[in-house]
Amino acid sequence: MASPDQQLPPGWEARWDAQYNQYLFVDTTTGHSQWEPPAQQGIPPAVGPTPSVSPPPAHHSGKRRQYAAGQTQAYYASDNALNDPSYGAAGPGLHAQPAQGGQLFTPGLVGENQFAAQQGPVPGQTPYYGGQEAQQPDYINAPGYGQTQQPAYGQPPVDALASQFNQMGMGQKFQLNTSNLLNTPPEPRELHRPPPEIHLPPNAAISPSPLANADPSYQRSTLNAIPTTSSLLSKSKIPLALILTPYRTVKEGDEPVPLVTDTVIARCRRCRTYINPYVQFIDGGNRWRCCMCNMSNEVPQLFDWDQVRNQPGDRWARAELNHSVVEYVAPTEYMVRPPQPAVYIFLIDVSHAAVQSGMVATATRTILENLDRIPDEDGRTKVAIICFDVSLYFFSVAPGDGESTMLVVSDTDDVFLPKPNDLLVNLAECRKSLENLLGKVNEMFQENSIIGSALGPALQAGFKLMSPIGGKITVLSSTLPSVGAGALKNREDPKILGTAKESGLLQAASPFYKTFAIECSRAQVSVDMFLFSAGYQDVASLACLPHYTSGQTYYYPAFNAARAEDAQKFAHEFGEVLAMPIMLEAVMRVRASRGLRMSSFHGNFFVRSTDLLAMPAVPQDQSYAIEIQIEEAITSPFVVFQTAVLHTTCYGERRIRVVTLALPTTTNLSEVFASADQVALATLFANKAVERSLTHKLEDARDHTFKALVELLIAYKTSMTSGGAGASGQLAIAENLKMLPVLVLGLLKNVGIRQSAQIPPDIRAYSQALLTSLPSQLLIPYIYPTFYSLHNMPPEAGTIGESGVVMPPPLPLTSERLERHGLHLIEDGQTIFLWVGRDAVPQLIQDVFNLPSYEVLRGGKVTLPILDNPFSQRVNAIVQKTREMRRGVYYPHLYIVKDDGEAPLRLWALSCLIQDRADVLPSYSQFISSLKEKVSTT
Amino acid sequence: MGAGWLFLFAVLWSAALLFGAVFFVIMFSDLESDYINPIDLCNKLNQFVLPEYAAHAFLALLFLLSGQWTALLFNIPLIAFNVNKILNKNHMYDATEIFRSLPGHQKETYFKLGFYLISFFYYLYRMIVALIAEGEH
Repeated sequence: MASPDQQLPPGWEARWDAQYNQYLFVDTTTGHSQWEPPAQQGIPPAVGPTPSVSPPPAHHSGKRRQYAAGQTQAYYASDNALNDPSYGAAGPGLHAQPAQGGQLFTPGLVGENQFAAQQGPVPGQTPYYGGQEAQQPDYINAPGYGQTQQPAYGQPPVDALASQFNQMGMGQKFQLNTSNLLNTPPEPRELHRPPPEIHLPPNAAISPSPLANADPSYQRSTLNAIPTTSSLLSKSKIPLALILTPYRTVKEGDEPVPLVTDTVIARCRRCRTYINPYVQFIDGGNRWRCCMCNMSNEVPQLFDWDQVRNQPGDRWARAELNHSVVEYVAPTEYMVRPPQPAVYIFLIDVSHAAVQSGMVATATRTILENLDRIPDEDGRTKVAIICFDVSLYFFSVAPGDGESTMLVVSDTDDVFLPKPNDLLVNLAECRKSLENLLGKVNEMFQENSIIGSALGPALQAGFKLMSPIGGKITVLSSTLPSVGAGALKNREDPKILGTAKESGLLQAASPFYKTFAIECSRAQVSVDMFLFSAGYQDVASLACLPHYTSGQTYYYPAFNAARAEDAQKFAHEFGEVLAMPIMLEAVMRVRASRGLRMSSFHGNFFVRSTDLLAMPAVPQDQSYAIEIQIEEAITSPFVVFQTAVLHTTCYGERRIRVVTLALPTTTNLSEVFASADQVALATLFANKAVERSLTHKLEDARDHTFKALVELLIAYKTSMTSGGAGASGQLAIAENLKMLPVLVLGLLKNVGIRQSAQIPPDIRAYSQALLTSLPSQLLIPYIYPTFYSLHNMPPEAGTIGESGVVMPPPLPLTSERLERHGLHLIEDGQTIFLWVGRDAVPQLIQDVFNLPSYEVLRGGKVTLPILDNPFSQRVNAIVQKTREMRRGVYYPHLYIVKDDGEAPLRLWALSCLIQDRADVLPSYSQFISSLKEKVSTT
Repeated sequence: MGAGWLFLFAVLWSAALLFGAVFFVIMFSDLESDYINPIDLCNKLNQFVLPEYAAHAFLALLFLLSGQWTALLFNIPLIAFNVNKILNKNHMYDATEIFRSLPGHQKETYFKLGFYLISFFYYLYRMIVALIAEGEH
C-alpha cells in the first residue's frame, strides 16, 4: 500500500489517519469514509462463497432495515459494485478481475470473515497441534524475505455495505443496519472506526469550522442522537452517558487548544453556560440566545474589540465561537486566592525492602534526571523530599549549593514538622543542593535494615507541609503500612478468593484512607501512589487516596531494579508523570440543555456538590464517565453538553477549559440504536462494573453487565426486527454495536472483573483502578487486546509509512490464529507478549533474538535486541510503536512467551485471547449462544 | 400509675426523635440544593447518628423493663435495623459516597420520620388510656 491514491476509483481520496496509522478512504462526493480501499469493494474475500451467488433481491434497497439473512448474502455478492456510482456499469463480471493475482496462501489471512473458520479449524490451514512437518513454514514465504506478496486485504465487507447504505438512504440521518451476531465474527479493525457521525441540523452551529464539535477523544456520548423522552431512552435500554477526558494530551498532529487571552468571558446569566458555537446572535448581534436555557443575554462590550491591536475585531474569528475546546484566561473573579505555585512532595519509602529492591536508587535517580522536566516556567515550583520507614526523615535543604541536613522524627503518633521552613523549598533556588541530596539518599539508607512503614504519618507530614498551598504528593512505597495512622494488616486470604467475600478485599480496610482523602481534597492536595511490593500491599486501600484526590495509582508488582526492564519501565513512567503539566486546584462541572441532568459520576475525583467535581490536581489523559438522566421531554432539535474545568495551570495562571459537544435529538428508536457508540458504552460498562463490584459483589457486577447487554439485545430484537418470527436463526444487533458483545466479554474476562480464585487482590485492585481511569483509547485494548502475526505480516508493516510505523493488520483474539512456526505479538496497552511458536525456524530466532535456536530462547521480560537485519528492525519498530501510539504514560513490559515455556506466563498471555474458552470462562461463540438463549427465552 | 408516666416520657422522647429526623431531612435537602458541602454535612450528621440509635434503644429498654410488650414489639424492627447497620459498619455517612447513596438515605430518613410520628401518637394514646384507667381507680 505504498501509494493507495493510485488504486482508487474516481471520487475517492486516501487520507492518512495519524491516530490509527491507517489510510482512511473518503468518498469526496458523499463525505463517506471507510478504512478499506474502495477499489476492492466488489471483490469477494479470498475464501468466500463462489461469485455466482446472485445479488440479493432488489427490493431490499428500499427497506429501511436489513435483516441478517439477506445481509450475509450481500456480504459476498456483487451488488456493492453495482450500487457504487463510481463503478458505473460494471456488472457482476467484475469479480473476475484478478486484483489479488499471485495469491500466496497465508493461513493468517484466510477466512477472516467466517465465523466458522475462526472457531473451527480452518480448512486447509495447518492444524495447530497437528505436527505436520511436511508443510513449509510460512515464515519462509513471509514478506520481507525476498518474495513479493500482494497485501491480501481481509476486507470486512461490512464497511462496503455500510457505504452502500449511506448512499441509498439520504432521508434518514442515522442509518440503522442490522447485523447477525451468529454469523459475523468480531473484526478488530471495527474498533478503530470513528463513532457514528453526528448529524446536527443545518445551521445549528454559527461557525462552519469542523472543530465546532468536540473530538471524541475529549468528550463522547454513548448515544450520538439523544432521545427526546426518557421513555424512548428506556425503551432502547442503552444507558446515556458522557465519557470525557477534558485534559487530553495534545500529541503531534493534534489540534492545539486555542487560548482566549482577553478575559472577555461571555456566559449565560441564568445557567452560566459559556458562549459556544451553538448559541444564536439576535437583535442585530447585540444579544445572544443561550443554547441551553434559551435566555437572551447581552454580548459583552469588548467582545468585538481586539485588545492586542486596540481596534475593532472580528467577532466571527473568536476562538470560542469556532472551537469546541477552548481555554480562557480567567480574571480575578474566578479566584479565591492568587494562583498557587506547583508543589511536589516526594514520600520515599526507605525501609529494607525498598532499598534492596533498588526502588530508592531508581526513584531518586529518575527525580534527579527529570528535575529539568518538572514544570517550572515561572520559577515558583516547590519541592520537598521526605523519607520514611518506621520514622520520618525530613531534609532541610539550604538555598544555593549548601549541604542538606537530615532531621529524624520518630514520633509517629502525633506528627509534627521539625522545622518551620527550608523543608519545602523552591526548585530553582535550591537546585544544586537538591541534586546533591538526591544523589545521596540511596547511600544514606543503603544499610537500612528496618522493616515496616509509617506511610500514614508520612502522608500526614506531607499534608502538613503543603496544606497551606496544595499540590501533589507522590508516594513511592514498597511495604504494607504498619505503623501509626493508616496501618494495615495483611488480609489476603486465598480461601476467600473467588467467593462472595472477595469484594471486601477490594474495599478500603481502614477508614483513614477515605477521611484523609477528603482532607486532602479540601486542601487541594492530590496523591499519586507508586507501589512496588513483592508481597501483599493492600493496593485496594492505598488506591483510595488517588481515587478521591484525582491522582493515579501505579503498581509494579515485585519490582527489582536489578532487572533492567523493571527499572526502565518505572523510570520511564515516573519521568513522564513528573514532566506532566498538571492542572491544579481544579473543579469540573458539566452543564447540559434543559431536560437533561447529570445523575452519577464515575472516575477519580471527589463529588463536592450535586454536580461539582473537585480535583486537586488533574493529570493528563484521565477519563471520567457521567451518567445522564432525561428529566423532561426535550423539544429542541439538538442538545448541548458543556464541560468546564476551572483550574490553575502549573505555570501559575488561572484558566477555564471549556469543552462543548452538541448532539441532535431524535424521536425515532431506530436512530437511537443507529447512533450508539460501542466504545463509549464499553467504557461506561467498565466503570459501572467496577463500582458495582465494590458496593455489591464481583459476581453481581458480572451479572449486571451481562444483563445490561441482554436487555439491550432484547430491546433491539423486539423493536427493530420482525419480532418472534425469525427468532431461531439470528441474534440481531445494530451494525454499529456489533463489537459490543465481544467488548463486554473482554470486560468480563478482564483481571479486574473476571471470575477466578487465583487473582491476588492487589492485582485485581490495580486493574480496577485502571478500568475506571483509562481513557477509551487505552481502555479498549485493555479489555480487547491487539493481536498481530509478525512472521507473515505484509511487507509494509513495520516500515515507516507516511506518518510513523505501519502496523500489521490486527487478528481476532483466538488461539487458532497462533501458528506453531510463527511469531505473534499480543498487547493490551499495559503488557506486550511476543509469542514464539515451538516450531519457529532457527532463522527467525536468529533474526529477532540473535540466538541460534528456539531451545536456547528464554521466556520472560526482555529487551529486544536491535539487530542488523530488516526483520528485526521491523519487529522492533512495531514494538516501539505499540509503546508510543497511545496517550498516557504507560510503558508496557515486553515478555517473550514460549509455546512450551513456563505455564503461568503462557496462561497469562493466553488469557489475552479473550475469544477462547478459559476454564469456566466462555469462548466467544459460547458467550454468543448464551446471549441468544437469554434473548430468545424472554 | 407507672404506665402513665412512662408514656408521658415516651411521648416527649419520641417528639425529640421526631425533631431529629426532621433535622436530617432538612440537611439532606440542603445538600441536594447545594447549601452545604458533603464533608460538613457528614461531620454534622455523623455526631447525631449514634445518639439517635441510643435514644431509640433506651426507650425500647424502658418498655422492656416495664413490661409494655406491644410497645416493645412495635420498636423491635427498627432496633434490629439499626443494629444490623452498626454491625455492617455502614451506619456512618460517607462523604465520598454520599451523592451516590443520597436517595437511599433520604428514603430511610423519611421512613424514620413516619415511624416516630406514628409512635408519637401511639404513645400519646397509650398515655391517655393509662391516665383514664388511673382516674377510674
